[in-house]
Amino acid sequence: MNKVLLLAEILTVASAFVVGLHPNILYASVFLLFTFCGVAVMFLYAGADFLAGAQVIIYVGGVTILILFAIMLTQWLYKIKLADIRNKMLLPGFLAIAVGTFLYRALHQMVAVLPPQTPEALEKFTSTPKTALIGQALLGGYLLPFEAITILLLGAMVGAVWLARPE
Amino acid sequence: MVQSAQFAHSLEGWFGFLPLWGWAAVSALLVIYMLALPFGGLATYIERKIAADIQDRIGPNRVGPIGIFQFAADAIKMLSKEDFVPKGGDRFLFNLAPLFVVVGSCTAFAVLPLSKYLIGADVNIGVIFILAVTTLIAPGLLLGSWASENKWSLLGGLRAASQIVSYEIPVALSILPVVLISGSLQIGQIVEQQGWTVFGENPATYHFWNAFHNPFTFFSMFLLFVGGLAETNRIPFDLPEAESELVSGFNTEFSGMRFGLYALGEFCDVFVMSAMVTALYLGGWHIPFLDIEKLGFALPTGLVAFIQFHMFMIKTLLVVFVVMWLRWTLPRLRVDQLMGMCWKGLLPLAFFNVLGTAVWMWVFKGQSLMQLLAGHG
Amino acid sequence: MNHLVEFSASLQGYLAVGAVLFSLGIFCVLTRKNAIGILLGIELILNAAGINFVAFSKFRTGLIDGQMVALFIMLIAAAEAAVALAVILRFYRLKQTIDADEASIMRN
Repeated sequence: MNKVLLLAEILTVASAFVVGLHPNILYASVFLLFTFCGVAVMFLYAGADFLAGAQVIIYVGGVTILILFAIMLTQWLYKIKLADIRNKMLLPGFLAIAVGTFLYRALHQMVAVLPPQTPEALEKFTSTPKTALIGQALLGGYLLPFEAITILLLGAMVGAVWLARPE
Repeated sequence: MVQSAQFAHSLEGWFGFLPLWGWAAVSALLVIYMLALPFGGLATYIERKIAADIQDRIGPNRVGPIGIFQFAADAIKMLSKEDFVPKGGDRFLFNLAPLFVVVGSCTAFAVLPLSKYLIGADVNIGVIFILAVTTLIAPGLLLGSWASENKWSLLGGLRAASQIVSYEIPVALSILPVVLISGSLQIGQIVEQQGWTVFGENPATYHFWNAFHNPFTFFSMFLLFVGGLAETNRIPFDLPEAESELVSGFNTEFSGMRFGLYALGEFCDVFVMSAMVTALYLGGWHIPFLDIEKLGFALPTGLVAFIQFHMFMIKTLLVVFVVMWLRWTLPRLRVDQLMGMCWKGLLPLAFFNVLGTAVWMWVFKGQSLMQLLAGHG
Repeated sequence: MNHLVEFSASLQGYLAVGAVLFSLGIFCVLTRKNAIGILLGIELILNAAGINFVAFSKFRTGLIDGQMVALFIMLIAAAEAAVALAVILRFYRLKQTIDADEASIMRN
């Protein structure tokens, strides 16, 4: 059964490689969409069922459409070539690998520090539906971030509409 | 999933070679191949026959007894067309775009409640799963219109994507009152709680169909229906594929099987939206006022599933008929009227309905109109 | 093969995917000239952080706080993408290009 999870992880990583390295920005956006879907499947296997649904709705249905709109509205009139990779990729590549390795090792330390869960607890965690728990947390312990996020989203909506207004 | 698992276990004597998750996968695939694709094909024929009836003519009647094999003839014709990509168009995206639409619509079939024992996968997040999976359609339209190298296709695609994304919000908000009433996102649970019978005892949480639970949900049903029309680019929200304005909109350059996939995806999406209206508001697989499992004598599970499946299909196909009927009745909305109606009309109404349902649940302690009438009568 | 399947379903597997996505996101931000390309990198970085939080929530704490943080990350990412794209559209109207090197009015 976990082979599906391995497949999803490989799909996510491969799509992310295409996002990072492909010269055509439109292809990079399409493979970013696949990355989001792969991450949603990984969320499902980590017991985050509501989060997986929210990931697809928000990212695939929202952010990807926004990005595709922006690409199409800023590129189609002039038929310019969509290639935008610099020649100098060495230093960014080295920096990215260094940061990634450092973060993995640092988080690996945390893996040893915190006590692991028993398999029964893991099974119970993965199979309980989380929507009720998330709802109770949003109106319970996380009420202040919830209200702050609503103000942030309102500000972002008004700001985006104002910035993109026709002249 | 529990009921499906029991049904699958009962088959295991015959086909015991698959583990349970294998049966889950097989049942999901069976629903897609036996329900989604045949419906998509036949829907083209049904639409033409309904159009013919409304326009006082006959429609397809050559291929087969009443022309019923017309969809097969269309499919063979489409498969035999030349496979070309427009000059300067993007081959990879041109091929990929129709797949988004088909995958987005057909995956939703796996969670439709065809019967109490015939849900492909009764997931915890059923309603959100359908919403999530149908949003995969929008990138398909956008990418297809871009890859066509055609200004009018691009305009059609941009309009289609903006329409789909805008109308998702009233659709999600119209589903919210049902979730408030049922207290669960699982579609199986939501449908099960709509089973009100007059010939026996009803559990405390059972109420009659959600459409008649309170006036606000009655209104929400129509909002969901209208939002579903807009999501699937059906008239009166048909501008992205307007035949008289943008040549054929975003699918101008698509011919042959690629266009067939777009049409198939659209009809499957119409079915999914109708099935959502049926399952969430019209009682799903319940026969009104009758519970065939509590008749006093035990019916075999297969027969119960059969009857419930047919009830579900009757209701869903009635809604599909209304969708197709509207196509040949109403004129098309302009794009500014369309967007204005969403953001200035449907969205405030949907908010009002959610608020109204919440207030009703608080005032009447979660009871439906039917429960109140039965309590007093 | 079985070792790979075991690794992928463990905490280390999730962290590895998160780290790879994070470094690819940084590479994307540093390398791309196109302003939207930089936004793609930022989305990868935010997703990687979300994966890490959810993984720790399942494999170590068993509490829902990791998933709450991942949910808030998603919401903030959506808001930020909307505003960033509005800014990019504005910039395009000004300069008819979205090359990030051209955004240098305030230099010198």
